Amino acid sequence: MIIDFQQVTKKYGIINALDDVSFKVDHGDFIFIIGSSGAGKSTIVKLILHQICLTSGKILIDDQNISLASKKEIEKIRRSIGVIFQDYQLIPDKSVEENIALCLDINQYPSADIPRRIDEVLKMVNLETRKFLFPAQLSGGELQRAVLARALSTNPKLILADEPTGNLDPENSWNLINLLLDINLKQGTTIIMTTHNREIIKSLNKRVLTIDCGHLVNDSQLIPVEIPQKPIKKVKKITRKHHD
Amino acid sequence: MTNINTTWHHIRRSPFQSLVAVLIIFISLAIINLFLVVNRGMTQLIQYFETKPEVTIFLKDGLDRSVVENLQKELANYPSIREIKFISKEKALDIYREQNKNNPLLTEMVTASILPASFEVSVSDPKVLSQIAENFTIKTNEVDEIIYQKDIINTLLSWTQAIRQASLIIISVTLSISILVIFVIISMKITNRKEEIRVSRLLGASRFYVIKPFLLEGAYYGIIGGLLGFGTVTILSFAFKNSLNTFFTPITFISADYLFYATLLGGSCFFGVVIGLFASWIGVKRYIKF
Repeated sequence: MIIDFQQVTKKYGIINALDDVSFKVDHGDFIFIIGSSGAGKSTIVKLILHQICLTSGKILIDDQNISLASKKEIEKIRRSIGVIFQDYQLIPDKSVEENIALCLDINQYPSADIPRRIDEVLKMVNLETRKFLFPAQLSGGELQRAVLARALSTNPKLILADEPTGNLDPENSWNLINLLLDINLKQGTTIIMTTHNREIIKSLNKRVLTIDCGHLVNDSQLIPVEIPQKPIKKVKKITRKHHD
Repeated sequence: MTNINTTWHHIRRSPFQSLVAVLIIFISLAIINLFLVVNRGMTQLIQYFETKPEVTIFLKDGLDRSVVENLQKELANYPSIREIKFISKEKALDIYREQNKNNPLLTEMVTASILPASFEVSVSDPKVLSQIAENFTIKTNEVDEIIYQKDIINTLLSWTQAIRQASLIIISVTLSISILVIFVIISMKITNRKEEIRVSRLLGASRFYVIKPFLLEGAYYGIIGGLLGFGTVTILSFAFKNSLNTFFTPITFISADYLFYATLLGGSCFFGVVIGLFASWIGVKRYIKF
């Protein structure tokens, strides 16, 4: 999926959440968006999802101007995006399994295949044992993984991850990053991830967009400063199973 | 998870609201079903009296055959005449004997000569009945007496009319209440599920995908209420069948007409679904806007 921001401005009243931001994300790219709180990272995610409307400029998703898209086209675009929301956005009175099933059902996944697919994605994020639990019964890290499982379930063309490691310990953070890297590499899924975690950014040779006060201040390809010291056991296990 | 599962999930999560919705449709449809059953019985009752000789013209003794034939021709010229039956003195005696066959004392002394000949006239339009009665009353040379069932039919018609009007008012009121109650319940459920609707929309759900469980929920209430309404009235009808039929002898007020009850069942469910869907649709239209 190709995302093209052309001189995008988003204002909330007199506040400029994004000001004249332009960048392009090609198919299969993995990019990080960094910046301090309130810099405009989440606004970018919301604009891609058409959760909010832009004030001026143009956003093209696979060459389609999202501002001019019909409701049906917006729905179709949303169905092709897997989102890891910062605030999870899990339905509280549905279990983890039901939350994922809802997403698959919206994507018109064959009903007979839904249980199998749920098991697959829960295994990928190491959350099989929490299948029947409700969001209120999960820890922050488990919630984040449940959201990740939901996002991955439909094999999306784009994964939007809004601060996905915010509530995870380092081990689970690396599990998640490695999983996303694996999907990006093997399936060619475009990944846009907002984060504060500079350690992760420095460790990976990926493009980084730096946002500050609504302005795109830097768009660079960072050379990894350091490689993760030791690959975590669980990561290896998950990755290997996923390869199978 | 299919939409049907989602709908059952919604119903299970707020069972008392669902119970109220089902109850209100049940009451409405039970009243409609009851009205239809009673109306059918009343129609049978009216039909019975309509097909009976509505006017009986007793003739004087010793009339010539030609006079009787002329009277018959005159009667035949009236519009809406269904049947004109001439009962001769001999036939009148046969009828009398048949009616009193268990009481020989009453039949011993009676001969054909003391019983009058008569015309039994049935019509399809009750208005003609009064014209015949008026015109033949003045024929004092030929006509001895006229027995006219106008009062019975008028009373029946006014009863039927009153029952129909009262039923229509009651049905309109209960239907309005049903629609309002389901609308309120569905609206509450939509408000409770605002978060779920919002998340579903973010995941790419279409408007129809979001509203379908609520519409289905209304339809479920309708079909369950319809079945219960039909079931209750049918059970009550058959429970009181014998006593009602005895009371209205020789008319069959409640008959075991399976086609009628099958139509009632189908109509009840269909009407229930229409009410449920309509009320839910108003709720959805009012509270889900995107």
